[in-house]
Amino acid sequence: MELQKQSNSLSRYLIPIGIIGFCSWAFWLSTQFDRVPPILKRGMQPSDFPQLVLGLIICLTILLFFTDKSRPPAALSRVVQSTMALLIGFVLIAEIDLFLGLGLFAAALSAIWGERRIGALLLVGIAAPVLVFFLFDGIFEVRFPRGVLTTLWYG
Amino acid sequence: MEAALSGLMALADPNLLILIAFATLGGVLVGALPGLNATTGVALLLPFTITMDPIPAIAILTTIYCAATFAGAITAILINTPGTSASATTCLDGYPLAQRGEAGRALGIAAVSSTLGGIISVVCLMLAAPLMAKAAYNFAPPEYFALTLFGMSMLATIGDGSPVKNVIAGAFGVMLATVGIDLLTSIERFTFGYNELSEGIPFVPVMIGVFGISELLVQADRLHIKRKQVIMKSIRLPSKEDYKKVWRTILRSSGIGTFIGILPAEGATVASMIGYNEARRWSKTPEEFGKGSLEGIAGSEAANNSATGGAMVPTLALGIPGSPTAAVILAGLMVHGLRPGPTMFTEQSDFVFAIFWSMLLVNILFFGVGLWGAKLFARVTLIPIQILWPIVFIFSIVGAYALEQSMMDVWIAIGAGIVGFFMRRYSFSVVPLSIGLILGGMLETRLGQSMVMLDEQWWLMFTRPLSLLFFVLTALALFGPLVWGLLFKQRKPIESTGE
Repeated sequence: MELQKQSNSLSRYLIPIGIIGFCSWAFWLSTQFDRVPPILKRGMQPSDFPQLVLGLIICLTILLFFTDKSRPPAALSRVVQSTMALLIGFVLIAEIDLFLGLGLFAAALSAIWGERRIGALLLVGIAAPVLVFFLFDGIFEVRFPRGVLTTLWYG
Repeated sequence: MEAALSGLMALADPNLLILIAFATLGGVLVGALPGLNATTGVALLLPFTITMDPIPAIAILTTIYCAATFAGAITAILINTPGTSASATTCLDGYPLAQRGEAGRALGIAAVSSTLGGIISVVCLMLAAPLMAKAAYNFAPPEYFALTLFGMSMLATIGDGSPVKNVIAGAFGVMLATVGIDLLTSIERFTFGYNELSEGIPFVPVMIGVFGISELLVQADRLHIKRKQVIMKSIRLPSKEDYKKVWRTILRSSGIGTFIGILPAEGATVASMIGYNEARRWSKTPEEFGKGSLEGIAGSEAANNSATGGAMVPTLALGIPGSPTAAVILAGLMVHGLRPGPTMFTEQSDFVFAIFWSMLLVNILFFGVGLWGAKLFARVTLIPIQILWPIVFIFSIVGAYALEQSMMDVWIAIGAGIVGFFMRRYSFSVVPLSIGLILGGMLETRLGQSMVMLDEQWWLMFTRPLSLLFFVLTALALFGPLVWGLLFKQRKPIESTGE
């Protein structure tokens, strides 16, 4: 109960503080934009509009801080955490080969979500990426980045 | 008239007709599959249309939109799970009717109501869009700026989240639209030295991320949900008695849906809720609602399908999306180098009418496909998500890559997916973010042009009658619900004291 309360207040403070922190950083970045001479500025300096929008977001977030009564969501389930970890794994493997990453991600995701049939895992891990590759390569003439597997096809 | 005929001629191409027929099947499939809806389906299929000519490309996207919106009813009636949020109210009466062994009758009413609602709205689209475009033809930048701002303000009321959160999400989308080279001054903003970002954050990977990949993470939390299908003997077209009972409801809901669709950002979900409520309010047998009322199904389905045609009115005539799915279609139009707005009706009228005719055609096609293929499509809903979603992910990533053939777009899609998931988790709708991203550039350009036109005296915008009207509407959209809520809260105790 105590832990839940702590998590509630953490989420209540963290989200607005995170948004305000991000917007403040972006606002500071916008102050670093080059400025143009008055004759070329055509109504607004390049930083004016982003600063207007960021200021609006900050004001609204402060309003949200005082008015938001919504209850924070339950903690992330283990499956969601594993799925996110898989996404990070995909990003790393896709650097080596996009389709290797897709195949491994799809098969691992299916397995983590409870699929145990080998045929189904082969379908999502091998057949689906191969079919999608040939569909896009052959029909839509999309050239994928060279990697360990795609080089076998491209030569 | 000439444009309408040449648009119809463009549709006479047999290849295009076959394509529309397949897209109708695909749309019904997308609407019936768990977790997928019209917006996600259109976002995922957008990259497939890149190599096509604009007419077939946009015809496919609008076909998916119309067909998927209808198909939500199939799962709503047979497994008590709305395929799309717009069919949530169809569950209320469709499923009880199906449980009584009348699934075929419920589907028949849903198909007839959807088809009639869709056709009525497309006819309204054909009449209203050119008129709206004509009215907007003489808009100067201040009017356009005020109108776009009004479109953005309507985002506050979408979904069931807080209006403040919706506006924050929309403003965040507008902020993302400022990334890249400023069109007015050619100064780089928020690019961090990446050349890929100099043209701005691309719409399509963001759409794929926030609608497709974030949904994958949402689905990861729904693995425990078991779907059970009600047994359906055969599809039954509504009888003469059924028609007598529902024809007024269909007409009323079609009008409501078309009107709600025309309002910027408000889509089929809001339309179906209002359509359903109005059907109950006007019904002679309101006690049947929630227990299997035919009027309930008709009210909901006619309204949500008519909202599709309505939503395309501001999308094509003003370049302001009428619904979340229309926002993705708007992105599709931009990807194909088209500029929706009044000039489109004078410079590309053939294209516009070809899209109108294709929408009319699909509303007739999905009647047949949905009615006689419902049994098969209902089985599709039982595909395990352990197989479905890994395949959706593969299509999402390859689709994000295919547009510019850039890995940066893949990273953007994944980043947008994770951000979208956390936004949804904390009740920030992702729809305002995507619409903000699309309209942000237009908003900034129009403001800059207005400043030049008014000699940097921005307050002069309030002296122009039309822009003032849009500013007032914006204020009403943003603060109206708040004021109404306060008034309502104040009135309640007075009434109770009186009693």
